[in-house]
Amino acid sequence: MASKRISRELRDMQRHPPANCSAGPVAEEDIFHWQATIMGPHDSPYSGGVFTVSIDFSSDYPFKPPKVNFKTKVYHPNIDSKGSICLDILKEQWSPAPTTSKVLLSICSLLTDPNPNDPLVPEIAHLYKVDKSKYESTAQKWTQKYAMG
Amino acid sequence: MISDSITNASATSAPTARDFGKKKRTNRSAKLKQSKLGLRREQWLSQVAMINKGDKEEMESNRRIGSEKPDQRDLPRPVENLDEDNNGTHRHESFIESLSNSPNSILSGMNSIPNFSSSSSSGSGGSCSGNITEEEDADDDGCLDDWEAIADALAADDEKHEKENPPESCQEHEDIKQSALIGGADVVLRDAKADSQRRKQKSNQAWRPDDKLRPQGLPNLEKQRSFPVMNLHFSSVTVVPSSCPICYEDLDLTDSNFLPCPCGFRLCLFCHKTICDGDGRCPGCRKPYERNTIKFEASVQGGGLTIRLARSSSMFCRVVCEYIRWYTNFKYIKVAISLFLIACENLAYL
Repeated sequence: MASKRISRELRDMQRHPPANCSAGPVAEEDIFHWQATIMGPHDSPYSGGVFTVSIDFSSDYPFKPPKVNFKTKVYHPNIDSKGSICLDILKEQWSPAPTTSKVLLSICSLLTDPNPNDPLVPEIAHLYKVDKSKYESTAQKWTQKYAMG
Repeated sequence: MISDSITNASATSAPTARDFGKKKRTNRSAKLKQSKLGLRREQWLSQVAMINKGDKEEMESNRRIGSEKPDQRDLPRPVENLDEDNNGTHRHESFIESLSNSPNSILSGMNSIPNFSSSSSSGSGGSCSGNITEEEDADDDGCLDDWEAIADALAADDEKHEKENPPESCQEHEDIKQSALIGGADVVLRDAKADSQRRKQKSNQAWRPDDKLRPQGLPNLEKQRSFPVMNLHFSSVTVVPSSCPICYEDLDLTDSNFLPCPCGFRLCLFCHKTICDGDGRCPGCRKPYERNTIKFEASVQGGGLTIRLARSSSMFCRVVCEYIRWYTNFKYIKVAISLFLIACENLAYL
């Protein structure tokens, strides 16, 4: 059952790709491990960057959320150094109805509008609240250093 | 002395008429609770007949009064007025019951009217909703059975297809008749109410306070009328998806009739069970399913009905197939018999 849903989502993704995102399986024979690329949103300090994200589906998908991790280093209050993402719809607010493309769009939205009230990296959240301009400049530096090239 | 006698007569007649009306009201309310929509027509007709009988009795009483005092011509007029009032009360009983507050209620007994109105309205509402749901289920089942019949016909031969067409058309006609009957019933009720209102306006000008209260009563009636129409529209507009949005498996009859959440999110029974074993929240609105156990049970019953009808249709197809086989065998038997006769003739010549 999970494989049928994942293959259907893959077909929909290829036919109607979402904006600023692309995704597909790493290997053709293994449909449970995807790799996605997210373009940094235009109106954010991550603009111009290309971030790689890994998506691992479990056999219980879609009743369990997929594991999504950033492979590119990102300076973000809700994304830690290991690439874990603090996003409620991927944790306790998971619902079987949304598709993978919608999950990727949610991650883009998170890049544009961080949530400092539920941080994964408290230092970055604190800086975001106190000195937003410094946060933005640091994020831009990280983007240029790790997401371009 | 003449005026005193007139007032005495009116005073004595008024309470008796009112008591009689009350008795009728109680009987009618009880009957309404027990009966269904189909029986209401018969009761309505019987009530009309009773009203006519009452009118006749009153006419006889008027004649007696006239015979007792033929010289005085003024006496019949006030009596007629009272009779008109009585007729109005009998005919407009439903309207009076619908009114929650009436300024003319002088007697203590009038306080009981809102109780009757509330009980009658609740009973009628329940019965109406029940009938509507039954009709909706029947319509859905019919459509699904037709689709199954078409599929079976395509799989079978052309002869089977030709023979199966007439019963489908008959079913469609039956559906149309049912809908026409329902519409006709609504129209009849509306016409009756309109006529009653017009008569009241013409006969009783003294009931002007009621005229002010009519706008309050009418919206309630309109709401009751609009309720079934909305249901019909909703049922006709909804589009049932062909596959489950969670597992992308095809939805069968039971799954198509399954609606576990008021937000309208549809899914198959397997996914619903898996979700209930997990967190038990609706994928569409993220609210717990526990609040919707009643609807779950109702939908399951509906599914059972569809399954039964599906079985009956499949049985019908099997019977048709068996008949066709028998008919073809019969043809072969005819051919054999004719050959046998020819052989006998040849032998006779030899």
